[in-house]
Amino acid sequence: MKGFAVICKMELRLFTRDFFGVFFALVFPVLMLLLFGGIYGNTPIYDGADVRIMDISVPAYAVMVTGVTGLMSLPLTLSGYKEKKIYKRFDATPVGKKSIMLAQVFANFIMTLVGILILLIAGKLLYQIQIKGNFLSIGVSTLFSIAAMFSMGFLFTAIGRDLKSTTLLCYLFYFVMLFLSGATMPDMLFPDTIKRISDFLPMTYAVDLMQGVFAGDSLDQYGVELLILGGVTVVCTALGAALYRKKDWT
Amino acid sequence: MSKAIIRVENLNLTYKTLHAVQDVSFSVKSGEILAVIGQNGSGKTSTVECIEGLRKPDSGLIQVFGKNPWLHRREVYKEMGVQLQEAEYPLKIRVEEQCRLFASFYERPADWNLLLAQMGLDEKRKCLVHKLSGGEKQRLSVLLSLMGRPKLLILDELTTGLDPEVRQNMWISFENIRKGGVAIIMVSHYLDEVEALADKILYLEKGKQQFFGTQQGFREYVKGRISKEEWEENFSLEKLYLMLAPKTTGLSMEGIL
Repeated sequence: MKGFAVICKMELRLFTRDFFGVFFALVFPVLMLLLFGGIYGNTPIYDGADVRIMDISVPAYAVMVTGVTGLMSLPLTLSGYKEKKIYKRFDATPVGKKSIMLAQVFANFIMTLVGILILLIAGKLLYQIQIKGNFLSIGVSTLFSIAAMFSMGFLFTAIGRDLKSTTLLCYLFYFVMLFLSGATMPDMLFPDTIKRISDFLPMTYAVDLMQGVFAGDSLDQYGVELLILGGVTVVCTALGAALYRKKDWT
Repeated sequence: MSKAIIRVENLNLTYKTLHAVQDVSFSVKSGEILAVIGQNGSGKTSTVECIEGLRKPDSGLIQVFGKNPWLHRREVYKEMGVQLQEAEYPLKIRVEEQCRLFASFYERPADWNLLLAQMGLDEKRKCLVHKLSGGEKQRLSVLLSLMGRPKLLILDELTTGLDPEVRQNMWISFENIRKGGVAIIMVSHYLDEVEALADKILYLEKGKQQFFGTQQGFREYVKGRISKEEWEENFSLEKLYLMLAPKTTGLSMEGIL
């Protein structure tokens, strides 16, 4: 247990030394907030509405943070470690490779929470966003979103033959989901064809769920979203684990 | 008579259609140094990776401290230190962080500050591991293999990339470690190193065990495989080994000029 705690601490420290990881998880979402805030302003989403654009943008950007860590940082670190035989080195110790993989999940999870927190603080300070939902609903929704994104990243690492193919797979899915799920621009602006595509993207359900609970909706109203995100987590994790077992780690 | 720490019987390993290790059997006792020798691709690393529990053999028996290393890897690694042929470390990790990390894996880790000084890496403790030279990385790998105060040490190409002075120093170090009762398996292409350190030799050719026994036994084995005209009593181990290797003529100038 002591070894695992030290690995977690070390992985967290290594994450903070990765400029791109830190930039995209902690800084980029705030820059998006400033950019889109500058473009659209913080007006009501429709005339007379109580909810303003930034109230729905911040939870959507929070999902973007889960995408950055789950679909970029985590899988690319996992894949890079495998390619460089770093896991093999850990397998030749009493702790084994599972410990370092779990430590990477832990480090990315913490960084996701920090990224979301920074985003919320920026939203509050710059645009006085309203968070009507309770802590439990927001917490559960955040966990479901993180779990779905992380499990997809895990699956992509298991599918990718090397770092290059994993990077391609992760970037492709990340950017498609980023632009078509409503995470960067409201899905109400999408034409019907794009809306139909976005229905197939797990991130769409994460964005809907987060926007809903931030607006004060009860979790009961989002059974479908929770079911889909939970299903994605279970299927991707199980499939990823099965594929990982077949990989040659040596 | 000390008990065998490692027992390998009829070990077989295949990669798809390649039979990488075929019917290899040997044992190693505490305080003994076994050198695994053979050409590139002869199955040396595959054999030791089976002992390390990193590869699952197709058949055969492997016992390390009486346990199957594939099934009981964690327990075996509490007493086994390994230096892999090729291993990298996380990109942004510093030398002392890597040492601290590995020290946390063991209940009673070695004094890594002392080891850093002895390995000549004391001044590099704040350096990023990936910025170290090849020889420095190799020394760090050896240091990390010693972190758990092992009773069995497996060194795959121990001195590759080290300058002659450091190599000599390593030989003395491992002789001292052996005297402390630690069993050592070394995979090496440096036959002078094998001659200086090894009690026993395992010689592999295309995955097949050709010889297992003492250095003197190896001498007799080679003598039996070559003609009387070729034999000289004072052959070095390297010369003996080369007598067994297929004769090559090197590159012809035709292809270059």
